[in-house]
Amino acid sequence: MRRVRSHLSRLVRHPLAHAAVVLVLAAISPLLSDGSVQILCFVLVGIIFAQSINILTGIAGQISLGHAGFFGIGAYGAGILAKSYGLEFYLTIPIASALSAAAAYLLSFPAGRVREVYLAMMTLGFGMIFFEVVREWNDLTGGTMGLPGVPSASLRTLTALGRPVGVATYFVILLLATTLFLIIMNNITRSRIGRALFAIHHSEIAAGSLGISRSGAKQLAYTLSGAAAGLAGGFYAHLVGYLGPDSFNLHRSIEVLVVAIVGGLGSIPGQIISATIFTFLPEKLQVFAEYQFIVYGLILTFSLLVMPRGIAGLLLDPPRFIRSAARTRAGRGDGPPVALRPVAARAPGGVVLSADSVTMRFGGLTALDDVSLALAPGRITALVGPNGSGKSTFVNVVSGLYRPSAGRVTFEGRDITGKPDFEIARAGLIRTFQDPRLVPNFTVRENLMLGAHRLMRGSGLAAALALPSATDEEAHVLKRVEAVLRLIDLEAVADQPLASLPYGYRRLTDVGRVLLAEPTAILLDEPAAGLAEPEMERLSKLIRDMRGMGISVLLIDHHMDFLSDLVDDVIVLDSGRVIYHGSMAGMRQDKTVVAAYLGAEETVDA
Amino acid sequence: MDFLFSLLIAGVSVGSAYALVAIGLNMTFWTTRTLNFGQGSLMMLCAMLTAFFASQGVWLALAVVAGLAVVGLLGIFIERFAVRPALKTEGSMGWMVATLGFGTLLQGIAAKYFGSQAVAFPEVVFSASDTVTIFGQPAALQYLVIFVLAVGLVALLELFLGKTIWGQVIRAVSFDQELGRVQGMPVGAIILLSFVASSVLAGVAGMLIAQIGGTVDPAFGFDLVLLGFVSAVLGGMGSSVGALVGGIVVGVLSKLVGGYISTAAEHGIAFALLMVMLAVRPQGLFARPEAVKV
Amino acid sequence: MLQHFRTVAVTCTTFTTALVAGPVVAQDNGPVKIGFTGALTGPYNEYGEGLRRGITLAVEEWNKRGGVNGRKVEFPEPLDDQLVPDRAVQNTRRILDDKSVQLIVSPSGSGPTLAVVDMVMADGRPFCNAQAQAPTIVYPNGRDKPPRKNIFSVSISNTVEAEKLGQVLGGKFKSIGVLHESTGYGVSGADLVKKQIAAGGTAKIATESYNQRAQDMTAQLVRLQRSGIDALLVIGLGADFAVIRKNMVRLKIEVPLYGSAGAMTVPFIEGAGDLAVGTYGVNALALGERPMAPLAKSFVNLYRAKYGMDRWYGADPENPQISLATSVGSGFDCANVLLDGVRRAGSTEPERVLKALAETKGLEGVSVKSISFDPSDHTALKPSDLGVYRLAKSGEKIVFQLSAD
Repeated sequence: MRRVRSHLSRLVRHPLAHAAVVLVLAAISPLLSDGSVQILCFVLVGIIFAQSINILTGIAGQISLGHAGFFGIGAYGAGILAKSYGLEFYLTIPIASALSAAAAYLLSFPAGRVREVYLAMMTLGFGMIFFEVVREWNDLTGGTMGLPGVPSASLRTLTALGRPVGVATYFVILLLATTLFLIIMNNITRSRIGRALFAIHHSEIAAGSLGISRSGAKQLAYTLSGAAAGLAGGFYAHLVGYLGPDSFNLHRSIEVLVVAIVGGLGSIPGQIISATIFTFLPEKLQVFAEYQFIVYGLILTFSLLVMPRGIAGLLLDPPRFIRSAARTRAGRGDGPPVALRPVAARAPGGVVLSADSVTMRFGGLTALDDVSLALAPGRITALVGPNGSGKSTFVNVVSGLYRPSAGRVTFEGRDITGKPDFEIARAGLIRTFQDPRLVPNFTVRENLMLGAHRLMRGSGLAAALALPSATDEEAHVLKRVEAVLRLIDLEAVADQPLASLPYGYRRLTDVGRVLLAEPTAILLDEPAAGLAEPEMERLSKLIRDMRGMGISVLLIDHHMDFLSDLVDDVIVLDSGRVIYHGSMAGMRQDKTVVAAYLGAEETVDA
Repeated sequence: MDFLFSLLIAGVSVGSAYALVAIGLNMTFWTTRTLNFGQGSLMMLCAMLTAFFASQGVWLALAVVAGLAVVGLLGIFIERFAVRPALKTEGSMGWMVATLGFGTLLQGIAAKYFGSQAVAFPEVVFSASDTVTIFGQPAALQYLVIFVLAVGLVALLELFLGKTIWGQVIRAVSFDQELGRVQGMPVGAIILLSFVASSVLAGVAGMLIAQIGGTVDPAFGFDLVLLGFVSAVLGGMGSSVGALVGGIVVGVLSKLVGGYISTAAEHGIAFALLMVMLAVRPQGLFARPEAVKV
Repeated sequence: MLQHFRTVAVTCTTFTTALVAGPVVAQDNGPVKIGFTGALTGPYNEYGEGLRRGITLAVEEWNKRGGVNGRKVEFPEPLDDQLVPDRAVQNTRRILDDKSVQLIVSPSGSGPTLAVVDMVMADGRPFCNAQAQAPTIVYPNGRDKPPRKNIFSVSISNTVEAEKLGQVLGGKFKSIGVLHESTGYGVSGADLVKKQIAAGGTAKIATESYNQRAQDMTAQLVRLQRSGIDALLVIGLGADFAVIRKNMVRLKIEVPLYGSAGAMTVPFIEGAGDLAVGTYGVNALALGERPMAPLAKSFVNLYRAKYGMDRWYGADPENPQISLATSVGSGFDCANVLLDGVRRAGSTEPERVLKALAETKGLEGVSVKSISFDPSDHTALKPSDLGVYRLAKSGEKIVFQLSAD
């Protein structure tokens, strides 16, 4: 099975195979009956539509129960433009796609504020409102009577530049559009944009800590998804020639979700297979209609359980998120290996990061009480204290997850108090979490690539078209990834999915990823927790390397042995207050510290 | 004035039906923070089965009990096979899709075995022409039953959750399942029970609403559950008082819009309200915002 | 690399072969075939399955009589669209691609028929509309403009139903409320009916709409009540009609209630129970007349013999449901109309069949008693083919009684 899967995967990925399928389909379409070509057209429309929900739900993790709305905006947009304004389809379809993208972009603002079940409700509401509007806005949409007379290839009423466009020609145009769309889609998922969307999918907070704006990423996902659904809708309109509201109801939204789930959320070839099956199945198997609800119901109920990765998971290897062209270029040994550069932080008065009288209250509880500290370049500062003393809260305040109730945080001379987390990360202040927050289906290498997100400047267009500039940038980052891999000694497992690796490896990847962001200051929240002795060694070497590069490090940990020969300064927190600030040796003598730890039934030498 | 009162009474009437659905949705939300997207199909199936048993000559009260028993058992099935496995995976996609799917499956099965056409549903409590006069306007007793049931349930649930030990346990479970388990609470049983209670309540709501229209078909319940969602979100997920107020607000508002502006907008207004509420105050009218877990 | 290429090539070739096999050339001596897609399953299968049975009965009758012009009549496996327009489009394309099919019966329902009618017109083969009510199916540019050349209709068209309702209601009441569902059927029906009622002499007409399967119609009803109606006409489906009837009782709105053909159905009687008694409705006359016309009688007997007394027929052997005429009878009529055209044309060549169809005169039917077409009139139904029924209680049962009103 595994061999079959890897053979199939290679075949599916092969550009020659793609070209062959496209050429053969284009070549045989004139030989087929109109009905067969029409079905093939429906397949292609279905593929684009399925990819649309795949972008939003499969890749960016934002569920949509109202996708028929975007499809409908595209279809009605194209239909109305063609029928009422006499535009030809090569204009109406792109405009329809843009209209749908605009609607999706607008929806992303309210939708970006809610998650999970609330998002499901909101998208459901959007779909229902669209359906109601189409039914009631008689003058524009023809209301419940529908919109007949849209120039259509299958009705032989479609023309372009005065020449008739038959269904076979239309098919070839649609085939080219689909191909182009799939190429772009493929490029995007294997670029920094696609990886950012996956990061949002997995953990919005972790994504924020890498400098990914969750609202920006969601807006992008919605817009791309809307554009794709609109494209499918536009082609649909000029295919059938009649638009009725019932084609855009909730059932259609659920159907496309079924297609996407069966295909395998997140997989592009999976969607192609699934959309093809679901178009041909009812066509070839008329009895299917009778059992449709039962079949859809069974699929939805059990597929995520039985086949969580759908057909793609069954037939193909998991998708990868770095373009092989970039890897080839990175592997070519031109130029010296990229070393990890020392950083030059702006440190007015020798301070990179300073917190001044930071206070954080949750309701009646004061988690941080007037905490001040300063980090200098190239120094490691430990933040210790009993459980619940406010260490993590402090990191959350500094990294922008909480807005402090009072006080100021300054980074490289700029006030960053209350700035959103992704902006702080983009500025070069990077943090980790108590539990490694990585994307589990990404490989070590792909996870490390995410670390460099804040530094990558390539435009979306370059990524979508895989322009050489984008490939160069990726290759450059990949070389740095290689260097970090050597540093954390994970070269051997670099291309294994993270979920398959032991905890220690994940932790090292997590800390190593920070380096790729080329930060000036790092906040590490208990990085040594759960590590075995040799891994701890590797970690402390890594942290020393960081210091060597001139990075300011704030290190939260309990292991005093681990800290003692590593840190330069220690700050002790107790009940949200700083009770000690000074050297490691001094701390062991300090009465307040000892009392605080004894109170928490721990000893300083634990 | 009569015009206004007619609309208000109708609004409160249908609103209490939405509220009843919303209360059922809340029950599983308390314990697992999940909603049964297939709740509408349970309403349909219970009414369908009751109508079927009754048409086979079974004594009506027995038919009702049998219908409720079946959906109660399905509640166990949903918890066991649709929700529990999905909760092990991250995110809410799993259970949303699974419960939606189970609802679709029940709808498909009902269509296959009972046919797709509307079947007559017997009058269980009161008849369509039983009315009382409120503010000079007739109010249907069939709706009044739903209203009284909804208000009674809310009062009962508030008391139960606030004052009894089991109520505290349920709140503890909703707060942190793991902690509850560690402290020896029968977490599994409580969750299972919440699904059974939610399903049975869906069945009750289904029958009380079906008798008003007099027919039930496989697609019955779907629109109702959507409006139940709107009500629950409006009032704040998990809040019983919120569900009641949310339901009545949705009902009254849609009737007022229908009466004074246009009946064409009556249906869409509820969803517009939903979108606005989610955008402006996602936690709803009566619930606290959820803390972001880091 | 080469290996992959070979696999691709093989896959593609197989795929191509599978797709290319298909079209068959038309013949003028083989069997005569009738193509049909309809809602055979799903929520609307009452209509599609009904048509399938009607066509089946007609085809069996023709074959018993030796076929048409000596050629056997075939009714290939019908396709199922569940009243979903997209599926109807795909199915119809498939039917049209099969050149051995010479005659086509429309899908059940206006939505799918509107979706396919342009395609069928472009194709040119004879097409009979059995049930879809939207007038634009036959007359795309209005009733006063010529009909589509190859589309003939025996359905209760909205236009004719509206005419009949106009005759019945117009002038009889001072102010009439029209409450319709917000579907193609309801919207176009309401528009036409308003014109006809006004032409009949009632100036004051108030209109409201509702969504199918709404649970409460109070807003619509009190708005109509406020406008002072003294009769109410509902254009919609039976289950919703029952909700409306019960809602009227609750609001104590007591005006004469009329329902369209779609509303006066079994779900209405089941849903409204005794409250249905006294309601008026317009429906096909044929099965309500006593004695029934010979063809109607024989159709009823054929149906009972083949399918028994089921949901379409009803439980009373002597009095089949009135709706049997439109649910099954219209399919029976469509097949007869088309085959009669072939018989008179002496060929299945479309042009000749269409010419013969346009000359159909007085062909006996079930849903329409006497079917005639001419080049400017492709709808067989006339207002006189419809009767006004009143629901009355007969023993325990509620029955349709032809009303003098």
